[in-house]
Amino acid sequence: MVKMMREILPRAFSAKPCRFTCYATASQSTLAQPCHENEPILPKMPPFDYTPPPYTGPSADEILAKRQQFLSPAVCHFFKNPLNLVDGKMQYLFDEKGRRYLDAFGGIATVSCGHCHPEVVDAIVNQTKRLQHSTILYLNPVIADFAEALASKFPGDLKVVFFTNSGTEANELALMMARLYTGCHDVVSVRNGYHGNASGTMGATAQSSYKFNVVQTGVHHAQNPDQYRGVFGSDGLKYAKDVDDIITYGTSGRVAAFIAEAIQGVGGILELAPGYLPAVYSTIRKAGGLCIADEVQSGFARTGSHFWGFEAHGVVPDIVTMAKGIGNGIPLGAVITTPDIAKVLTHRTYFNTYGGNPVCTAAGLAVLNIIEKEKLQQNAFTVGSYLKQRLTSLKDKYEIIGDVRGRGLMLGVELVMDRELKTPAKAEILHIMEQMKDMGILIGKGGFFGNVFRITPPLCFTKEDADFLVDAMDFALSKM
Amino acid sequence: MKRVVMRRAIWESRHLRSYGRCFSQSADACAAANDVNTIPKMPPFEYTPPPYTGPTAEEILKKRKEFLSPSMFYFYKKPVNIVHGKMQYLFDEHGRRYLDALGGIATVCCGHCHPDVVKAIVNQTNNLQHSTILYLNHSIADFAEALASKLPGDLKVVFFTNSGTEANELAMMMARLYTGCHDIISLRNAYHGNAAGTMGATAQSNWKFNVVQSGIHHAVNPDPYRGQFGSDGEKYAKDVQDLIQYGTCGHVAAFISEAIQGVGGIVELASGYLPAVYTSIRKVGGLCIADEVQSGFARTGSHFWGFEAHGVVPDIVTMAKGIGNGIPLGAVVTTPKIAEVLTRRSYFNTFGGNPVCTAAGLAVLRVIEREKLQDNAHFVGSYLKERLNALKDKHEIIGDVRGRGLMLGVELVTDRQLKTPVKVEILQVMEQMKEMGVLIGKGGFYGNVFRITPPLCFTREDADFLVDVMDYAIAKL
Repeated sequence: MVKMMREILPRAFSAKPCRFTCYATASQSTLAQPCHENEPILPKMPPFDYTPPPYTGPSADEILAKRQQFLSPAVCHFFKNPLNLVDGKMQYLFDEKGRRYLDAFGGIATVSCGHCHPEVVDAIVNQTKRLQHSTILYLNPVIADFAEALASKFPGDLKVVFFTNSGTEANELALMMARLYTGCHDVVSVRNGYHGNASGTMGATAQSSYKFNVVQTGVHHAQNPDQYRGVFGSDGLKYAKDVDDIITYGTSGRVAAFIAEAIQGVGGILELAPGYLPAVYSTIRKAGGLCIADEVQSGFARTGSHFWGFEAHGVVPDIVTMAKGIGNGIPLGAVITTPDIAKVLTHRTYFNTYGGNPVCTAAGLAVLNIIEKEKLQQNAFTVGSYLKQRLTSLKDKYEIIGDVRGRGLMLGVELVMDRELKTPAKAEILHIMEQMKDMGILIGKGGFFGNVFRITPPLCFTKEDADFLVDAMDFALSKM
Repeated sequence: MKRVVMRRAIWESRHLRSYGRCFSQSADACAAANDVNTIPKMPPFEYTPPPYTGPTAEEILKKRKEFLSPSMFYFYKKPVNIVHGKMQYLFDEHGRRYLDALGGIATVCCGHCHPDVVKAIVNQTNNLQHSTILYLNHSIADFAEALASKLPGDLKVVFFTNSGTEANELAMMMARLYTGCHDIISLRNAYHGNAAGTMGATAQSNWKFNVVQSGIHHAVNPDPYRGQFGSDGEKYAKDVQDLIQYGTCGHVAAFISEAIQGVGGIVELASGYLPAVYTSIRKVGGLCIADEVQSGFARTGSHFWGFEAHGVVPDIVTMAKGIGNGIPLGAVVTTPKIAEVLTRRSYFNTFGGNPVCTAAGLAVLRVIEREKLQDNAHFVGSYLKERLNALKDKHEIIGDVRGRGLMLGVELVTDRQLKTPVKVEILQVMEQMKEMGVLIGKGGFYGNVFRITPPLCFTREDADFLVDVMDYAIAKL
């Protein structure tokens, strides 16, 4: 008891009073325990009226044994005792024992409407029963309707769509189109960016952890306009000069394209410094290049303030790529561009067997309808802003939180050992993740050093969920 | 005309009894079969699709032209609006039934909307669509185990992707990492994908865009029909040795090929070729990659995998298309030792191995086994090939009939000696066949090869119908 008091008291004096935690948890209707000063309270998950069907399949151990035998050794998993997730409903996941978890990762920003959202499920089930696949060699209404709906979400002349099966495929296609359109090979991407794992996209990807020792050509990696670790802070224009220099000294003076995420996802939820994209777009276009916006993670209303991440930067790209949230988890990707640029694909024959199949495009169309009908963008904005505020308060309380950043429901919390040196807290983050899992929260992890919490839940995430998440993080941090 | 009728009568009398067409069709049809002008009848099928109330073909075409990539071409002058499928049949917006002899390009293996596959998809979609492999799920593990059990030797580590292109990209990268070499040999006329690396391995100019592709050498195609050495596989194999000796440092990363070239026009590699090349490649430290995207999953009938018919065991096998009956899924299977290369860095595929697609994959394997689809592909395919050969005897325009199981090709030429590819005739026949209710595929470098890769539940009656329709359509040219 004395030991506990010794631990608690210093915190009570240095951090904001515990009443902050109490205030937050008091907003939860299910709080049963009285609020005691200085004593962290185990947060309770918001109620949810759904019980998953009983699970009768193999246990986690049996699955793990099979994975070790039959799946690529590169297949990694979270947690010391990995979770067997068997059921999902909206923003919650259920393990083999029927235990509910708050999904703060969203299958990596992929489940946009919510797990097994009834309308998406309906669309998939109905279409699967009618026709799964025939290829675009024949007509089918679904692909056309979805392409039209998707095109309507874009500004300007961005209205010709090509469907793929993943973000990697979409980015591969975008890079190729830019190279064909300009006749140039050189592409500029941003350090710490992630664009895919095939031959071309691995070149654009700019983190050594994701780049294998194979030939990758023609990509130049520009200085990252990283507001937290970058040398110019949030001055986007200063970083943009590096792109000028790359073109002037590293290429013939003409380039095929610039490709970037508006907010780096894999890279740790790094929003490009303001002013950067407009300046770079200008530079690239002067050099005859096209601007590709990788919206695989930031697209489909996730950032709340806008539908697409690039919109927050006041630019209009020439090509936009997307995947993940586009189909609430169904394998689907897309590239959208102008009719002029799209023509390059008629130089030869370009075909994608599964791309644009009726089931995936039906899911995509359902997703767009849901985002609109359920005002998910607005929700991402409101709940995301609230969540960010609470996380920022948490940062005031704990030294280990070096930065809170992001937009809407694409948020990052960077853990550091030292706020001045920004030394990444690699072991600590794993520990917190485990704690949070034990408390019922599944959160993501990323950043080059693996020390950034990635919060990219289904966009139906509520304020109560946000409170639960922050309180659990608070609790876990307090126990360190 | 008299000669045609006589030839047909002789042909009929030679084949009628052994194939029992009269027994499987009505008496009327049987009597009429001797008259070449009778329009063949589609085998009966007890199923009526639900009514279609969506946009018309014209409305769809208009939207496609406005919102979809201009590179997206389609078959037929008046493209068909396919809205429904059941087993080996497809239905258009008017409820008209077609025999699907293309199978969505060798993709729909069990049959459109096969109830077991649909059930697996629906059930899993209702439970959990996606969470990523960062968490456990039994679906991926069960399917990986079942899939590995279908492969010989030490081929038992699986990585799931979303397409054949992704699978081949991964396979090529693994080979390059494993060997430390960059050079890869593929075959002229092959198709392996459309991303940066796979476009390099693809070897037909119409599929290769003017972008940088590096490190690939394209070997002479062991093409039994057009190749200079006919069916002598070993003679072609020497080109691979020459490529290595004169075009590389003497060591290569890999050799990649299809057992039967699909996009290339159902060209089965000359026998003896693969064993010889595999030896050459392995002597110089390279790996052998078998692209089973089209020939895998029982399609060739005689074997489960196309490479098995050539008596070789590859180091890496890639697959897609038939693996999930049409759901977006691909896979790479290799040995534990080769798979280790992926641990050197982080390799991740967000959608890959998701519960729904792997559930579909497992259902497909079970359907293939339970419904003995491999046997069916063998028997019906052999029968179909015989009938097509008989058709070749009848029509000069048919230059070659080839393939295995339900992966068959019919090459049309204007001159059998010169093998001059037809240009417009094949389109005319395709149109005519569509009018008569058969949807067939087209391929080959010159676009003059019919590709017949239907769902593996294709029956002898379907085969008869297809051949009779083709017969009729060619006769009308």
